[in-house]
Amino acid sequence: MNDNRHIDNTQRVVVTGIGLVTPLGIGKDEFGRRLFTGETGIAEIKSFDTSKLSSHRGAEVTNFNPRDFISVKNLRRMDKISLMTAASARLALDDANFRITEANRDRVGIILGTSFGATDITVQFLTNLFNGGPANVNPMLVPNTVMNAAAGHTSIELGFRGVNTTVTHFAVSAENAIAYAAAEIRRGTVDFIFAGGADILSEFYYKSLTKFHVLSPQNKGRESCRPFDKDRNGMIVGEGCGIICLESLQSATARGHKPYCEIKGLGMGSSPTKPNAWPQNSDGIKLTFSRALKNADISINEVQAVFAAANGDKILDALEAEAYTAIFDSSGKNPFITSLKGAIGESFSSGGIKACAMALSMEKNILPPVAGLANPLKPLAFVTEKKKELEINNAALAGISFGGAYVYMTFSK
Amino acid sequence: MKKRIVITGLGTLNAIANNVPDFTRALQNGACGIGAIDLFDTTGFRSQTGGQIKNFIARDYIPEKFSMKRMSRADKLSLAATLEALHDAGLYPSPKELKEEIGIAIGGGAGGLLEAEEFYSDYLKNNGKDANFCKLSSLFCASSTDCNASTFGFSGPKITFMTACSAGATAIGYARDLIVNDQASIMIAGGVEPMCRLTYAAFNALKSVDPATCRPFDKNRAGLSLGEAAAIMVLESLDSALNRGAEIYGEILGYGITCDSFHMTAPDEQASGAVRCMQAALKDGCLHIEDIDYINAHGTATPVNDVTETKAIKEVFGKRAYSIPVSSTKSMHAHTLGASGALEGIVSVLALHHGFIPPTINHREADPLCDLDYVTAGSRKADLRAALSNSFAFGGNNTTLIFGRYSGRGAAHE
Repeated sequence: MNDNRHIDNTQRVVVTGIGLVTPLGIGKDEFGRRLFTGETGIAEIKSFDTSKLSSHRGAEVTNFNPRDFISVKNLRRMDKISLMTAASARLALDDANFRITEANRDRVGIILGTSFGATDITVQFLTNLFNGGPANVNPMLVPNTVMNAAAGHTSIELGFRGVNTTVTHFAVSAENAIAYAAAEIRRGTVDFIFAGGADILSEFYYKSLTKFHVLSPQNKGRESCRPFDKDRNGMIVGEGCGIICLESLQSATARGHKPYCEIKGLGMGSSPTKPNAWPQNSDGIKLTFSRALKNADISINEVQAVFAAANGDKILDALEAEAYTAIFDSSGKNPFITSLKGAIGESFSSGGIKACAMALSMEKNILPPVAGLANPLKPLAFVTEKKKELEINNAALAGISFGGAYVYMTFSK
Repeated sequence: MKKRIVITGLGTLNAIANNVPDFTRALQNGACGIGAIDLFDTTGFRSQTGGQIKNFIARDYIPEKFSMKRMSRADKLSLAATLEALHDAGLYPSPKELKEEIGIAIGGGAGGLLEAEEFYSDYLKNNGKDANFCKLSSLFCASSTDCNASTFGFSGPKITFMTACSAGATAIGYARDLIVNDQASIMIAGGVEPMCRLTYAAFNALKSVDPATCRPFDKNRAGLSLGEAAAIMVLESLDSALNRGAEIYGEILGYGITCDSFHMTAPDEQASGAVRCMQAALKDGCLHIEDIDYINAHGTATPVNDVTETKAIKEVFGKRAYSIPVSSTKSMHAHTLGASGALEGIVSVLALHHGFIPPTINHREADPLCDLDYVTAGSRKADLRAALSNSFAFGGNNTTLIFGRYSGRGAAHE
């Protein structure tokens, strides 16, 4: 019964638009300007009181006015994470110069990654329930308690009806989402798809993180985020959303739109690791990176830049640096390494913002410096102090999560 | 030629059975698992019932050598179901050379919320004093995926899906694609959903639950019954299964996803999202409407869903809609939300494999707007070629899976 006139899986996937709501700014211009000059969005937290907590800093999104991006009709139903997601998607759509119409809306989709979802709404809902019993529950909050609400609201706001999925997997949520979205373009189920990640800072969530002793200053000292630095002492939590638009090369070419880059290689893997713990060695990272290179059919010497996962965590940064030391050879043609976390904090789904930054970097041939890095923990080619100008033909995006989950991707010109 | 992906192992715990053989019998007998629940206090809610898993003592399922430290009920349920599925597939213990190639995709919902709620309730009572935040460490659904991977030592892709009531189905569909795209050789795919206060309160507040037992497609239906489940499948390529000499339950023929883009909690009454979703799955599998012999409906028993889904089936299948049996097994095992797509996927596979159509129970009075064959007089024996399973979720997420009976190497190709 199966006549096998099937998907060919040969579509080339390109990035045609980026949209950002981040601690460094809203939209690619402000974000790019601040990122490449080495600025940071990390500051004292303003939206709630941290005076009784062991950490006080964060990378908050400020100066974000949802009304600039979202219709009044939908705005009042949306929570913080949905607003950031819909606004980022709107920005990405405009950047891609794509119009969603009645004729194409069923072939437009979204795959969103979120690590923790609407922590603010969940806490509010349970506070009402436990303080006032079943009669005190607010039905208006219910739709936003589900993690897929942000993607759902975005589809309503922008009016598209194709593939729509929300994925989560701790710190590789967004990378998983982008990998999935690229597969959907290849499979031919959609012509245009939004992909990326969104997470928010909220009071109870921040407080919980301080109790897990993962935030700077882990072992006292100055509270700051220093990826790959010898003196790093934990991460600083951030928030925000980064969305990229993917379409087939054929589709971008047909409408005369120049893509940022092509998503070429994909590697996925994991290490058997206790939940919430870090793996014991960097084997899984090396294996996954090599899977991505093999998938793209390129060698490590053809990669000019790695956008790392390092966020200032004692173990993560050491594991990642150890993996690159092992992978890179003595040819002297090894990639430069940068990390955004000193600028945007760790929002766990920051892979969306990372992918946007990679696209921008490849367009401009500039690598952003690692904000906060002064004394590298290993002699690798980190971009320190200021931006680095060089021709970037291939770049790798590193997704590494506690619990031992990895997603690596390579983008090519 | 596209790889054919087959199912070689199944595992489940749900309101009507704590393993697959019992589940098959319960489905054939039309068992009802909906009744009083004791996981938490239901006083003051619109309903007091649900489809709770009975007599679940984790250690009865999980060998002593596996630590269950800090695992939530959801983690333990998914681990128990995965163990059954791996045993069933002849993959427990898993050969060392395969472990790097085995990945996990799980659809979830509440994750460790049941335990987190206890923590948070105490936290509020004590004004935050002496709170042990470690109790939150397995709160998020990805924890179940990680527990499975670490327990069995797998190193393949790990991903967790959060599309509410379609998550389990999406996990299975995407797992299939990961094997097709050579990202993994074998995937453990499915869903897990524990009952918890937040979900219970949310559906009660929306008045989406039937104070009595849910009655899908009945004229007087008044909402769904909430349940819980873990439902896991082992997926691999046909070649891999044949090489291992594994028993094959069936194959995944088609998978479609769409969204309504209409309303966050109500389905589009024009049923466009559901129609396009079933059509996408048929197209994905290069199937025709004549190929489908059974539909496992989303069939939540809310007044709107059942009419809308019926309308959608009629639009997709035309006249043939009236000759395809459609049942909602949620009438037996209740609505298991994030696990439901996977659980009902297992139902569909068991129906194909054992040759029966599971019934819609609790149906008493016909609704003129729901006029298909809902299999209301008990299960039937039937020789089925392909079964379609629908999952529609809050947020307007729709997923349809189509499973085929496995009937030999060449059968599904020409």
